[in-house]
Amino acid sequence: MAKSTIYAGLEIGTSKICVVIGEAKRDGTIKILGVGTAPSRGVRKGEIIDFAKVQTCLNDALVRAEEPSDVMIRTVFLGVSGGHIESMNSRGAWRLPEDQSEITEDDVEESKEIARNVPISQDNVFLHSVTRQYIVDGQEGVRHPIGREGRILEADYHIIHGLRGRIQNAVKCVREIPLEVEDVVFTAIAAAQVVLNRDAKAQGSLMIDIGGGTADYVLYEDGMIAASGCVPLGGDHITQDIAMALQIPHHRAEDVKVTEGSCLFDDIPPDEMLRIEDDNGFVLGEIERAFLNEVIYLRTREILEQVKDRCQDHISRLAAGVYLTGGTSLMKGIGVVAQDVFERKVTRAGSAPVSGVTATFENPQFSAPIGLIRYAQILDQEKPFMSPLKRLGRKMADLLSVIVL
Amino acid sequence: MVEYHRNPLTELTSSSQLKTCIVGIGGAGGSVLDRITMDRTVDATLVSMHTDIRVLSHSMSPVKIQLGVELMRGVGAGGDPELGREAAMYSREQIRTAIEGHDIIFICVGLGGGTGSGAAPVVAEIAKSTGALVFLTATMPFSFEGKRRLSQAEDALKQLQNRTDALILFENNRMGELTLPKDGIQKAFVQADQLIAQSLRAVSTIVTTPGLVKLGLDDLTSALSTSNGRCLFGFGEARGQNRGSEALKRALKSPLIDQGRLLHQTKTLLVHIAGGDSLTLIEVDSIMKQLGKNVPDQTHILFGVAVDQKLGDSISVTLISSLGLTQLNTIAAAAPPSEMLPLKERTMPSMLSTVAAKPAPQPKPAPAPEPMEMLFGNEELSQPEPQVAEAEQPDIFEEEAFTPEPEPVVIEDEVQIEEPLFEEATPEEEEEPVAYVAPEPEPEPEPVKPIVRPRIEDFIQTTTTRSNTNLASVVARAPAPQPTPVAEEEAPYAPPLNSVAGKKLAVSAQEEQIAFRFGGDEDRGRFKNTEPALAGGEDLDVPTWMRLRRKVKK
Repeated sequence: MAKSTIYAGLEIGTSKICVVIGEAKRDGTIKILGVGTAPSRGVRKGEIIDFAKVQTCLNDALVRAEEPSDVMIRTVFLGVSGGHIESMNSRGAWRLPEDQSEITEDDVEESKEIARNVPISQDNVFLHSVTRQYIVDGQEGVRHPIGREGRILEADYHIIHGLRGRIQNAVKCVREIPLEVEDVVFTAIAAAQVVLNRDAKAQGSLMIDIGGGTADYVLYEDGMIAASGCVPLGGDHITQDIAMALQIPHHRAEDVKVTEGSCLFDDIPPDEMLRIEDDNGFVLGEIERAFLNEVIYLRTREILEQVKDRCQDHISRLAAGVYLTGGTSLMKGIGVVAQDVFERKVTRAGSAPVSGVTATFENPQFSAPIGLIRYAQILDQEKPFMSPLKRLGRKMADLLSVIVL
Repeated sequence: MVEYHRNPLTELTSSSQLKTCIVGIGGAGGSVLDRITMDRTVDATLVSMHTDIRVLSHSMSPVKIQLGVELMRGVGAGGDPELGREAAMYSREQIRTAIEGHDIIFICVGLGGGTGSGAAPVVAEIAKSTGALVFLTATMPFSFEGKRRLSQAEDALKQLQNRTDALILFENNRMGELTLPKDGIQKAFVQADQLIAQSLRAVSTIVTTPGLVKLGLDDLTSALSTSNGRCLFGFGEARGQNRGSEALKRALKSPLIDQGRLLHQTKTLLVHIAGGDSLTLIEVDSIMKQLGKNVPDQTHILFGVAVDQKLGDSISVTLISSLGLTQLNTIAAAAPPSEMLPLKERTMPSMLSTVAAKPAPQPKPAPAPEPMEMLFGNEELSQPEPQVAEAEQPDIFEEEAFTPEPEPVVIEDEVQIEEPLFEEATPEEEEEPVAYVAPEPEPEPEPVKPIVRPRIEDFIQTTTTRSNTNLASVVARAPAPQPTPVAEEEAPYAPPLNSVAGKKLAVSAQEEQIAFRFGGDEDRGRFKNTEPALAGGEDLDVPTWMRLRRKVKK
């Protein structure tokens, strides 16, 4: 029997709060045990502005996920996003001591140290530092430099960092539930783990997770992460544009967007009308469908163009094209717009197949939370294997230390 | 607090030992001196000099000299090297008595400021005239401190190069490499001070302490011999297992050596290894072997070993060498090349004259003040005081007295112009929407109902006229059905607002004005309390179509 561990992924999104409980097996498969979502309040552009509201919604989502899966959640992997998140690539060069030509673990550590030693603002904190590759004497693409001969070892890092305060606030908010946060993960990194397969990463691909408040993107090149970041624009902005253009309340605009909205307005006859109703079903008036779609189109295009601007240097090398995921990627016609903007193959994708009772989550809305579980699994695989006895010992030691303290 | 009183007289009697003196000039020099005092590692007379009495009073060094008491009156030189020099001139007798009778005089100074750049050459000249060996450790200003400070520093450096036997130069820019980016600025400065203090300590101990393999002054001067050179200095101390190679590693890591890369260029390298009683021959051997790989074969290695009880079970490795400027510039582009910087014509000639005059009085300490006097005479003795008193102070007062008056007048005028404009614009703006819109400030669910009908027809009218459907279509069609009167267009601020408000948005005119006053905050809708998402000078939270329309208007 394959050993398995149960993880919970939590994403506090602008439109919904989502908890996914999954079982990660040692053979690399994931079984989803339960999914709980609750509409989100008090989040704008991926950042929490109202703690109390968020906590209420979070409790709802948590209960909904726990019930079907019959699991009590203690710790979660928290997905964070927001316009403050930035990334950069950094290289650290380490010259081997003169009497040594074989690269040892110490040298690797040294080069890593130098690479990670990048000047980021005092208020920022590192979220991820992902090893992209090692370069030995100018030879790129080395994955395992230890034991190789060389003079200069360079570690190439992709560093994602964000504002310390914002990230800590998110963690704090979750801790008050109370839930323990095991790790904080940039949502795009999580989503990419399940949306992009190995081939897509190797060929070069750009994944854009367009959610409610933000569009998070990750760009892979030669199997290495090359760029990532967050554009603080999302479905919420589309809704707002509609609400302001049609002068209708926000939640009506959201309904109109989901049920009627599309980014395509070329083929719509100019006299095709759309009835707008209020909450009670009274007709408020009629609008031209093409007009609605144009408003949506302009904003959608802008979001994609903003992403494109930020990874301009890499766009030409995307053989596997662009992958769209996240709730807003369900928008009709977004593929055509993305094709137009990026001039690359565009795929709308959800999470890779996972098993479980609620196996229908190829829905792109759940890419990020499922990705969190996959991320947890990958982390776990990288950790050395511990026998159950050892684990028990570790736990006992933990307990004892608590008692002693 | 820190007891470090020593009587210089007792030192004079022990003639066998070399007497050293460390002089800290200005703020930077003073803090290095404090560091040395606190570490209590150097066996030397410590003299601190500053123009600013407040800074000086905080100094921990036993001997303090306030420069230019009558001239400066205890105030700092304010970044003017001329003032710093004058101040040092005033106090030259005091300086002489303090530093006389030493074999080696170290001068620590931070170049670029007033006191440091100005007084250091004077002090160096006095020190030289006492017949001592003069070493200078100077820090160059950070590049962010500006070109002016850098050129002042370079000027001072030029003057100092002729008056000192060796120059150890620390680039503050490189100092940044000492600390992690996350470390506080205070730590960065402390570490820089520490490095300088270390270098002073190392040099003075190398020269003064007895060693198994002794290094003397001659070795030191030959290691630093390059006339126009800059010092490469590395110091490492380590204990525990593998302490030898660890100490060397740290010494090589020193930013002044640039990870050992600069050592490849040196002709002479001084290596000093010191350790406690436990220092073994094998350790020394392995350190030298490792070092040998960093240094070309033809380099002349001056080697010294000392056993120092104070070190206990740790080993310290000190590397000292120098490079010519040209070599340095080719290797480390980071170091600002001094030749490229324009020289200040004012100061240079006068200093050159003193340089020319200097060799003669040098051997005799007594007549030395005379060239100073000459220097001084050039600047005209009587001038500085009245200048400071009369020229500067009235200036400040005059400015203060004059400037405030015209300014408020201008501002008031502007306000007066602006306000009527607004008032003129508002009635016109209101005229149009009033026909359709009740003047509610917020487009919330309930109030919208009665108004909606006509507005949607508005949409239809405008949208049906549209035929092309690309991105530019909205842009293209926006100006066409514009019903806004021309008069509004002429008002300076009104047009963009009207274009949006007048037709589709149907936000009341009052509200528009509010929106305008708060930088379009109203247009941000539900994002108005969030941090704006700015890109390309636009606030992305404002609806795309709205921004497009505004662009067209403009």
